[in-house]
Amino acid sequence: MSQSFSLYIPTNSGMHRLHPLTKLALVFLCLVLGLFLPGVWLSYATFALIIIPSALWGGVLPRLLSALFKTALPIALSLFLIQGLFWPGGTPILHLGPLSFKEEGLYFSIQRTGRFIMIIGSFLLLTFTTRPDELMLALNRHGIPNSITYIILSTMQIIPRFQAKANTILDAQRSRGLETEGNVLVRIRALLPLIQPLLLGSIVDIDERAIALEVRAFGRKGPRTSLLTLHDTPAQRIARWLMLLAAVAVIAWGIYLWLAPRFIA
Amino acid sequence: MNLVIDDVGFTYPGGAEALRGVSLRIQGGESIAFIGENGAGKTTLMKHLNGLLKPSRGRVTVDDWDTREHTVAKLAARVGFVFQNPDDQIVERTVIDEVAFGPRRLGQSETDALANSVAALEIVGLSDESRTHPYDLSASQRKLMTLASVLAMRTPVVIFDEPTMGQDARGLKLIGDIVEELKREKRIVLIITHDIDFCSAHFERVVAMADGRVLIDGPTAEVMARADLLATTNVEPPQLVRLAQALGLPVAPLTIDGLIAALPR
Ligand SMILES: Nc1ncnc2c1ncn2[C@@H]1O[C@H](COP(=O)(O)OP(=O)(O)OP(=O)(O)O)[C@@H](O)[C@H]1O
Ligand SMILES: [Mg+2]
Repeated sequence: MSQSFSLYIPTNSGMHRLHPLTKLALVFLCLVLGLFLPGVWLSYATFALIIIPSALWGGVLPRLLSALFKTALPIALSLFLIQGLFWPGGTPILHLGPLSFKEEGLYFSIQRTGRFIMIIGSFLLLTFTTRPDELMLALNRHGIPNSITYIILSTMQIIPRFQAKANTILDAQRSRGLETEGNVLVRIRALLPLIQPLLLGSIVDIDERAIALEVRAFGRKGPRTSLLTLHDTPAQRIARWLMLLAAVAVIAWGIYLWLAPRFIA
Repeated sequence: MNLVIDDVGFTYPGGAEALRGVSLRIQGGESIAFIGENGAGKTTLMKHLNGLLKPSRGRVTVDDWDTREHTVAKLAARVGFVFQNPDDQIVERTVIDEVAFGPRRLGQSETDALANSVAALEIVGLSDESRTHPYDLSASQRKLMTLASVLAMRTPVVIFDEPTMGQDARGLKLIGDIVEELKREKRIVLIITHDIDFCSAHFERVVAMADGRVLIDGPTAEVMARADLLATTNVEPPQLVRLAQALGLPVAPLTIDGLIAALPR
């Protein structure tokens, strides 16, 4: 089968043509901005001001938003319901019959949802616009060991692999009379028998991959020849350094904010 | 029961045009082998018969049902499909439950479901393993178990995708016997195989596919005689046919007796 196991969307945008490391640095900066500073809104701001415009530039915004919507909505809903309603000893601010939403729970849910959107959003931005082999080569060129680039690459492939596998398994079950088309309840019930073959299948996959890596001399030391060429520019190199510096500064600032009250007290 | 494939074209979402205008009529009681090189479109075509894929153009009907108007689960009552990879379907903890999964989903009574499953396991020679966990079977036994799990559904049409792969002489004989039994019961048997001797031993009609089209369709002996055409889809006629041709005989014998009868005395 000629299915490719990557989320890469091949179009020819400026975002696509950027050096993979430039995009990686951008994503890193987003993650740092969204995770290292306190407060609720920064991850939303990062998403709105960096990720959305970049996705628009790369021509992948509709796909990114729809993928994000499908993953974030159930998580956000359950966060708001569970944390919002059942936050132990919180301050009630919104009444719903016998139940009430607690301020602390809502605050927590808004923060976690924002982080989730920002993390998944930047991951999708990178994978939608970057060919996995180019990213791997770029990392390799910068002295990152093969084993680490392999881990990064296979993580990027987990979702599409799982999707493909899940579809095959679902097909096999439907062919044996399992009804999967219909309302939400029918669908959820259909997914249950999927879990076992999916997990076991993935373990078998891992085994086969390990063998495949071994026979292709994955552990071999020394330089390798690559047929790919990467396009880099001085401007991008500078931008990467600036983004890294910014990220380090944000981390330092975050640590300072965290430590300061403890020292003063 | 009859199957009609009417000028069917199919393009995968990824863009691969896998079928380019296939038309076939299959009558009740017919048994047909589908051959042709990798990627010819055999699996894609079979998946149209149980509705897993819906034609991009043209029509597929199973008796009075247009596959577009029925769910796969519903079509499963008429068309049983044995997948290539057994590991994609295992959901139950014992062989007997695994085999009974389809019959139960199709609404057979518990007694019928169990009786049909026991009978199917008997046919594939796995009666002693009915309490075994499916993953404790060997790979070829697992394959036989998937055959049993579709036989137990008692569908009027049975499709096997490469059942002979990885089977030893005993497994081959067993699968041959199953095909013969299904033929006796006047069920439609469709098989995809690269084992040309298996195909000429058990099937009266052969469809050779190439590049999303039907290359030749006819009685087995006639198809096997077209070595020139078969070569274009990388199929070699059976040894006996090639021997007869090398001897300059005007026939394409499928059995040793057939060859001997054609020899000049
Ligand atoms: N899920 C899929 N997504 C995209 N393209 C596909 C998919 N499955 C098959 N194809 C492509 O469709 C074409 C026909 O594939 P198909 O699996 O029907 O061939 P086949 O005759 O069964 O081959 P094989 O003998 O290897 O099983 C091939 O070019 C294949 O790469
Ligand atoms: Mg196939």
